[in-house]
Amino acid sequence: MTQKVLKVKDNDVLGSTNEFLRHLLSSGKIQALLVPQSIPSKKVVYPVLIADPKKLHADIIAPVLPVATATVVSKITKVQPPSKPIGVVLRSCQIRALIELVKLNQASLTNIVLIGVDCPGTFPINTYAGFPEKKTPTHFIIDAITKKTNDAEQYLRSACKVCKDPIPTNADIILGFYGTDIEKEIIVEAHSEIGKDLLKDLPLEDEKEGNAREKAVKEIREEKDKKRAMFLKEKEGIKGIEKVAEFFDKCVNCHNCRQACPICYCKECLFDSSVFDAEAYKFIRRAENKGLFKMPSDALLFQLGRMNHMILSCVECGLCEQACPNTIPLMEVFIPAAENAQKEFEYHPGKDKTEKVPMIVYREDEFLEVGEK
Amino acid sequence: MSKKSETIGAVAVIGGGIAGVQAALDLADMGYKVYVLEKSPSIGGVMAQLDKTFPTNDCSMCILSPKLVDCARHQNIEILTNTMVEGLEGNPGNFTVKALKKPRYIDLEKCTSCGSCEAVCPVSLPNAFEYGLVKRKAIYKPFPQAIPNAYVIDKEGDGKHRGCVDCMRCVKECKSGAINHEQKAEQLSIHVGAVIIAAGSPPFDPVIKPEFGYKKYKNVLTSVEFERVLSASGPTQGKILRPSDQKHPTKVAWVHCVGSRDASVNHEYCSAMCCMYTAKEAIIAKEHASDIEPTVFYIDVRSYGKDFDKYINRAKKEHHLRYVRSRISEITEDPKTKDLIIKYEDDKGDFKEETYNLVVLSVGLCGAGERRNELMDILGFDANEFKYVRTSPDDPVVIKPGVFVAGSFLEPQAIPESVMQASAAAANAAALLKDSRGTLVKEKKYPVEKNVSAEKPRIGVFLCHCGINIGGYVDVPAVAEYVRSLPDVAFVETNVYTCSEDTQKKIVDAIKKYDLNRILVAACTPRTHEPLFQKSLRDAGLNPYLLEMTNIREQCSWVHMDEPRKATEKAKQLIAMTVAKTRFLQPIQEAEIPVLQKALVIGGGIAGMTAALSLADQGYETVLVEKESKLGGYLHKMYYTVDGLDIPRLIKQMTEKVSKHPLIKVHTSSQVKSLKGYVGSYESEIQTPTEAISFSHGVIVVAIGADEYKPHTYQYSKDSRVLTQSELEKDLSVLKKEDIRDGETFVMIQCVESRDEKRPYCSRICCMQAVKNALKIKELNPRAEVFLLYRDLMTYGFKEKFYKDAREKGVMFLQYDPEKKPELESKNGLVVKVYEPMLGELLKIPTDHLILSTGLQPNPDNPVIGKLLKVPLNEDGFFLEAHVKLRPVDFSTRGVFVAGNCHVPKFISESMYQAQAAAARAATILCKPTLKAEPNVVFVDDDLCSGCSICISVCPYNAIERVEEEINGKKVIHAKVNEGLCQGCGTCVSACPSSAIQQQGFKDKQLLPMIDEITSS
Repeated sequence: MTQKVLKVKDNDVLGSTNEFLRHLLSSGKIQALLVPQSIPSKKVVYPVLIADPKKLHADIIAPVLPVATATVVSKITKVQPPSKPIGVVLRSCQIRALIELVKLNQASLTNIVLIGVDCPGTFPINTYAGFPEKKTPTHFIIDAITKKTNDAEQYLRSACKVCKDPIPTNADIILGFYGTDIEKEIIVEAHSEIGKDLLKDLPLEDEKEGNAREKAVKEIREEKDKKRAMFLKEKEGIKGIEKVAEFFDKCVNCHNCRQACPICYCKECLFDSSVFDAEAYKFIRRAENKGLFKMPSDALLFQLGRMNHMILSCVECGLCEQACPNTIPLMEVFIPAAENAQKEFEYHPGKDKTEKVPMIVYREDEFLEVGEK
Repeated sequence: MSKKSETIGAVAVIGGGIAGVQAALDLADMGYKVYVLEKSPSIGGVMAQLDKTFPTNDCSMCILSPKLVDCARHQNIEILTNTMVEGLEGNPGNFTVKALKKPRYIDLEKCTSCGSCEAVCPVSLPNAFEYGLVKRKAIYKPFPQAIPNAYVIDKEGDGKHRGCVDCMRCVKECKSGAINHEQKAEQLSIHVGAVIIAAGSPPFDPVIKPEFGYKKYKNVLTSVEFERVLSASGPTQGKILRPSDQKHPTKVAWVHCVGSRDASVNHEYCSAMCCMYTAKEAIIAKEHASDIEPTVFYIDVRSYGKDFDKYINRAKKEHHLRYVRSRISEITEDPKTKDLIIKYEDDKGDFKEETYNLVVLSVGLCGAGERRNELMDILGFDANEFKYVRTSPDDPVVIKPGVFVAGSFLEPQAIPESVMQASAAAANAAALLKDSRGTLVKEKKYPVEKNVSAEKPRIGVFLCHCGINIGGYVDVPAVAEYVRSLPDVAFVETNVYTCSEDTQKKIVDAIKKYDLNRILVAACTPRTHEPLFQKSLRDAGLNPYLLEMTNIREQCSWVHMDEPRKATEKAKQLIAMTVAKTRFLQPIQEAEIPVLQKALVIGGGIAGMTAALSLADQGYETVLVEKESKLGGYLHKMYYTVDGLDIPRLIKQMTEKVSKHPLIKVHTSSQVKSLKGYVGSYESEIQTPTEAISFSHGVIVVAIGADEYKPHTYQYSKDSRVLTQSELEKDLSVLKKEDIRDGETFVMIQCVESRDEKRPYCSRICCMQAVKNALKIKELNPRAEVFLLYRDLMTYGFKEKFYKDAREKGVMFLQYDPEKKPELESKNGLVVKVYEPMLGELLKIPTDHLILSTGLQPNPDNPVIGKLLKVPLNEDGFFLEAHVKLRPVDFSTRGVFVAGNCHVPKFISESMYQAQAAAARAATILCKPTLKAEPNVVFVDDDLCSGCSICISVCPYNAIERVEEEINGKKVIHAKVNEGLCQGCGTCVSACPSSAIQQQGFKDKQLLPMIDEITSS
């Protein structure tokens, strides 16, 4: 790893990071950049694919994640990966999701330069769009990082509050906001040969002596781990079919969660298909059997079916919860489920692209307690 | 102009038991016309009379019946029952079999097997099929699944009882006019190219051994009679009742070796199957009634076959069979209770008496049956000292050119050996007649399939009583009434046996008459019976996959015998579920796979060489691949056999034949590197010392052998006086008389590190190898001392005579208890210590040599080859065949066959006939230009498939690949299935998260309605 420093001019963090990205794009080594950038209304930032450095006005700190960037990278690379490198700026959860999609053959890392950014967390879209504070959400967050306050915590999405790891791993280049004064300097790390090559000619300074970055990363990881552990403990109670059914009471079977989820990669969800269509008499017979029959009948089955399919790869980005029109706190079930299921299979989604998804791994000694001995 | 052939493309199979049936089916499938000549009114033989079969406890009739029906329906097979062979003329390739076809007095074409004749017949006779335990009428059907499925009139009676009295009531009663009392015997002259004798061997009649009290005391039964007692269709409907008072016995004894290993009746051979069927009968008896306390009086427990030892261990540990090692001196009856008192001498030499409610005599087979002698004389065969036919050990199924043998006509043996010999005999016949293959056969023509895919379902439901198997517990008429109310059910019928041949006609008629387009059979398991009913659909012009089966026997009546009402309800629900699926059935068209008429044989030992020769002799190009630098395999570690085979000469002969055969290509020092493809179209790469060769072939025979296990105990490899049997054999082969001094002592220990927890199998050959080497020592110097320490001496069949021979020559046989294994002291001289139960003390035997019988261990390459060929191994590491009884050389994977020691340890002649059997089974594929692929293959819905490739990772057959395709100018990535490779296991279907991969016959849209049905009702 090589570590450099990007000098921030006039406390203008976004200006300097954009300068950096424009240099990168102009270097001729990459043909396009996928960055979070505001749409004209400024209400939200979306992943925008930039080919012309002049059009680059990214906001890589903006605390909002309207769609799964990993899914966007899948869209770009799945049918045919780019012939020359493109850079993609991703938060840690989206890198993890992308690695899972790569394992599932839904995305390719060929000619993809992963530019990870430290993630201070994101706000729900509406909070971001109608932010109540005087400052913009981005500046609010920069202040919080600089002053090391907890001011942003109140606005964070629940998934971000208990984030598994806000520091990106597996990236070619990392832009670090922790362990530095970001109004003065941003840490730029290269973690791969291509990363090193790209940084080589950019106007960066060498990192000063010291282990401030390392210490800060450790601290923030410990803090998040602690919060996540507390969260898991708090939510232990949601167990058994009755409590789970009650939890999903407000689910109207809209399937928005599956649309938002970066791991749900099916072209058509089984629950959207006609497989469960049946003749009227069957519905009536069910009603006759118990005297009543609630419709739609498959909301809970959908939730559990979806969970069964994706939970081992769940990266806890929380986009499902953000997508829920009826504000079901999905993370209260999905984070504990992911934690337990992944532990059973000793599986770490997004950690290593060579680690096989449990579905295709057969170990003779697994789950000996189930079935015949 | 038709090809002139000098041989006749037809074969006569004499005997319609399992061996005859197997030989007939193989030959018929290979393109030969087959005549099955059976002396009784039905084919099926002894296997039809058995209740269950060891070591899997499969129902005997259930696995046999489909084969019998296949035989009856095969275009190329003509079954001639009531037919006695009277002469054989001509030469190999062109024989005339003279036979007398006795009148049946029934027109087979007209008889519907309705049974109304039987009801009015006034004559009652002992039922021979039930060993006289019940009566039958003079007009009768031998057994419910009899083939041909028709009645027969017994005019002769049985000597004591009169047969038909010509009252003609049956004629009046028969609606179809099938009865003809005037029928006359016919003299038949059948022209065939070859003859296979599979006439069987009758069970021993213990009447001539009065000490056992058979026929004197009512409660002494033979084991064959007891099979009928156990059978659900037998005289007591499967209830265990003793004959004297029809009461349920609890103390039941089995007595081994009745009429076997017995010089007093001139049967100095072992009948080879009795130890195992005894354990089976006792286990099944306990399953029928858990209060039964079985005791087995035995000499040795000969559990020498595959998985036999495990079966016996389970019998002892789980089913609590009590085994008493003993000699029985007498069985007497308590006249008051009709209980039986067994007097015996136990292994300590003490005389004891025990009382039993019922005694079963485990009778062996008897070479000296009257009809057998006649056949032997008629056909001019050379008989051995046991009145069985004699063949050469290196040509085990050939009696003389053009005349082959299979089954217990050759030697007493169990079913798998009979089946292997039957296929081997077929291979030999096919080799002789290869130029006239296909000249006398007809192609089975089915009516054109009606396209019903768009029609509204009209389901026909056939409900089986299965005698009392289902009907005894499930209220079948009530179920039928319920099924009539289910959606789209257009027709419902109940049958006593839906699998019987007359019901097949009824199914065909019903399909036509009621315009049925989906069929549901609620009976037993599709594993054995689905093909039968599918053929009926085809006969009626329906696609065979418009059939569904519901198992209301194994999954209902058999497991809920105590709760008939609930069983009836469950049967209704099971059928309702299946109706829900049947409504959505669609025709399936199997893909056609071209067959490359070439074989690959892996392994160049005796089995591999024999298989290659057999295939090449049948006219198929064969590639033989051997890992070592020379052919011969394990034979190189053998030097002589007791039956006089000169092993070095055998190696030389076989190697020459194989190497010089124009159709065989041999690659030594070579290995199969990779294998692609599927049955009919394999693509292999072989690494030879010089190059890598790729070639295509249609089938594979695996014959990669096994090797002697090297022990770690008894100072082996540390003390030069301790050898294995093979090492001793090598030494003995070069020793001269003077090399062994008087009194020189050899101690042999059997089952060393074998038949224990680590290697829980018997290697079958080691006892005989020890006896062989002991005899050799005695031959070199009769004054040498040989002690043979054994657990159970596995000298089954005619091998028993060598055991006797060894005893007579002074070899000391000492049995040891596996709990008290012999120990070795080797301070100065070698001293073996063994506990002798008769003396009750530890014997110390000073010895010059210690010889260890360690058995064979599986080839370490087995897992690799297994993976390459996608065929399984059993727990012990030997290859696992498709079915231990009836498919002993096939794998579940079509196109791959097994032979020799890699299947399970065996003797040379056994390896040879198994190899020929493998060649026969392979030839049933190679003889066809194309094959039909597996119907239940999977297919991919490209619109749903995301190309994630999980299916590819989980597919055990490498049948799926990820492809990029241009569809309407758009690039699409998806999974693609190779229908030839797909075996229809469905693993991918369950793994696909998108339900994009679906299986023919098991689509979501077919299965979910079943779940819906059961959860909503």
